[in-house]
Amino acid sequence: MKILLIEDEPELRKSIKQFLFQDGYLVESANDFLQASEKTEDYEYDCILVDITLPKGNGLDIVKQLKERNSKAGIIIISAKNSIEDKIIGLDLGADDYLVKPFDLSELNSRIRAVIRRKSFDGNKSIIINEITIIPEERSVKVNDELVQLTAKEFDLLLFFIINKNRVVSKNTIAEHLWGDDSDQMDSHDFIYVHLRNLRKKLAEKGCTDYVQTIYGIGYNFKTN
Amino acid sequence: MKLITKTILNYLLVSIPLILFAGFFSYYLIKHELRDGVDETIFKDNKQIENSLKDYPVKDIKYLSHDSLSFVRISSISNKQITYLDTSVFDRNENEFVNYRSIRNNVTVNGINYLIVISKTTLEEEELMEGLFSSFALVILFLVVAFFIMNWLLSKKLWKPFYNTISKLGEYDVNKNTQLSFDAHNVTEFNELNHALNNMINKINRDYLHQKEFTENASHEMQTPLAIIKANVSALMQSESRNELEMNELLSIENTIKKLSSLNKTLLLLAKIENNQFQKNEKVCLKTVINTIINQYADIIEIKKIDIKQIFNNDLYVLMNPLLAEILIRNLIQNAIKYTDINGIINIIVNKKDFSIENVGKPLTIKEDDLFQRFKKDSESIESLGLGLSIVKSIIDLYGFKIDYKYLNSFHTFTIHSF
Repeated sequence: MKILLIEDEPELRKSIKQFLFQDGYLVESANDFLQASEKTEDYEYDCILVDITLPKGNGLDIVKQLKERNSKAGIIIISAKNSIEDKIIGLDLGADDYLVKPFDLSELNSRIRAVIRRKSFDGNKSIIINEITIIPEERSVKVNDELVQLTAKEFDLLLFFIINKNRVVSKNTIAEHLWGDDSDQMDSHDFIYVHLRNLRKKLAEKGCTDYVQTIYGIGYNFKTN
Repeated sequence: MKLITKTILNYLLVSIPLILFAGFFSYYLIKHELRDGVDETIFKDNKQIENSLKDYPVKDIKYLSHDSLSFVRISSISNKQITYLDTSVFDRNENEFVNYRSIRNNVTVNGINYLIVISKTTLEEEELMEGLFSSFALVILFLVVAFFIMNWLLSKKLWKPFYNTISKLGEYDVNKNTQLSFDAHNVTEFNELNHALNNMINKINRDYLHQKEFTENASHEMQTPLAIIKANVSALMQSESRNELEMNELLSIENTIKKLSSLNKTLLLLAKIENNQFQKNEKVCLKTVINTIINQYADIIEIKKIDIKQIFNNDLYVLMNPLLAEILIRNLIQNAIKYTDINGIINIIVNKKDFSIENVGKPLTIKEDDLFQRFKKDSESIESLGLGLSIVKSIIDLYGFKIDYKYLNSFHTFTIHSF
């Protein structure tokens, strides 16, 4: 899958590129408005990550251009601006998602997957990992073709693990994914443990291998290899 | 003390001694003039007698008035001398002293020495004096009173633009970025004052805007470096060879970034609330907001086995910005969930005009007055920023609602009044 990263900060560009590359994406990058505009016109991408504040222009104008040309690419705005107005403007222009800096790369990955999944029309909407099959749209999970009844949070947790498989995700990242920005208000780390324990139990009942490794109490790794 | 009062007091302070001085001065002046007049009259009478003595010499004594105070008699003193003197004679009929002015003249006519004494009562002059003085005092009194009234009325009129300016300044609120317009008028000083104030307010507004922009930009700019650190920490965590110590240190960095970032976001939100940047108000159904938020935390409520009761005596609708309404209720609910122990109780009660949320919990470890202060938090909650309730307070203040807190029978209760 091809991704275009439009971000002017070189360090952040490098990190995101590296991360997505490891996950098997083809990543190209643009560091200002003109480059971005040129690349989006010349090539097709599955997903475009665009920062709003760019040298020589505004990222929102890239979104506009893409929409005018009926581009099929998924668009995720990555911005330091957290204001609701910017979010609304971005999404109104046709962006698929809006991620506020500083975001976690696992979270970015999960959003990219979600956007690409929504955009693909080839019927390939399920994610299969060994004995586990997930159909995100239906929010259903099967283990060895047997349906597993999960709560909303357990499902979100499993999907997040699977999208970020073979990678360490910290409890902070999971908490933010499950309860949003203000998860730190709730001492949420204890609750992750409860959800994970229930998830493991439900998967094990259907004969699923326990893929989740605990990493020194700081996070987890959904190991499939 | 009002300016008018102060002015009048100052006038009084100066005018009373002045009036007293002028009174005494004119009293003596008039008295002197009147005495001169009397002296002149008796001197003329004396001259007449002196002349008549040339033709009609007097033997021994001749009385010139029936009260025997004016007379001519032969004297032994020969040198010519005129003296004036004041005398007081007791009048038996009137039973009082009567003042007289007398002239004593030693004169020699046709070789005979005479003493001429002519006395004249000064009653008339005294009455004239009294009359003059009381009418003078009356005029002064009238003038003073008229002056004060005039001054008071005039001050009120003259200073009106000044009081207008003051009342306009009182309404000024830097948060609302209001432009004050002062009326122009024909008093140069007031125009200059208003002009200076206008300049000052424009500068304040401009500086305030700059500062606001700076705060916002600074907060935004900080998020990108934080994103870089976060990405790098996350990358470091992926290495298989990390030991526990290294992992914990990476986690500590990650926690710090998270704290810094949410601190940044929260302060930005607080600044926006205080700058009144949430303008669009709508009718918000409190019940819907409460239900949505509780659903979002349903899993946590279940895990903590919290017995949560919602009592809606009214479908309270509130006119406020929907986002702020959500943030307000969310912070209060989060706060209650956080500080309720396992198997605890939370009650949410919505009445016609107020909303309260109560939860069972341990007594506060901070002072009640500090509850809504920024960065004040329960010592046990290390993770929390201590900004949740100050956000609540800012929103409450923005809309002019009232919130109070009480702790009774191990229930913490927050109540929002006059929603």
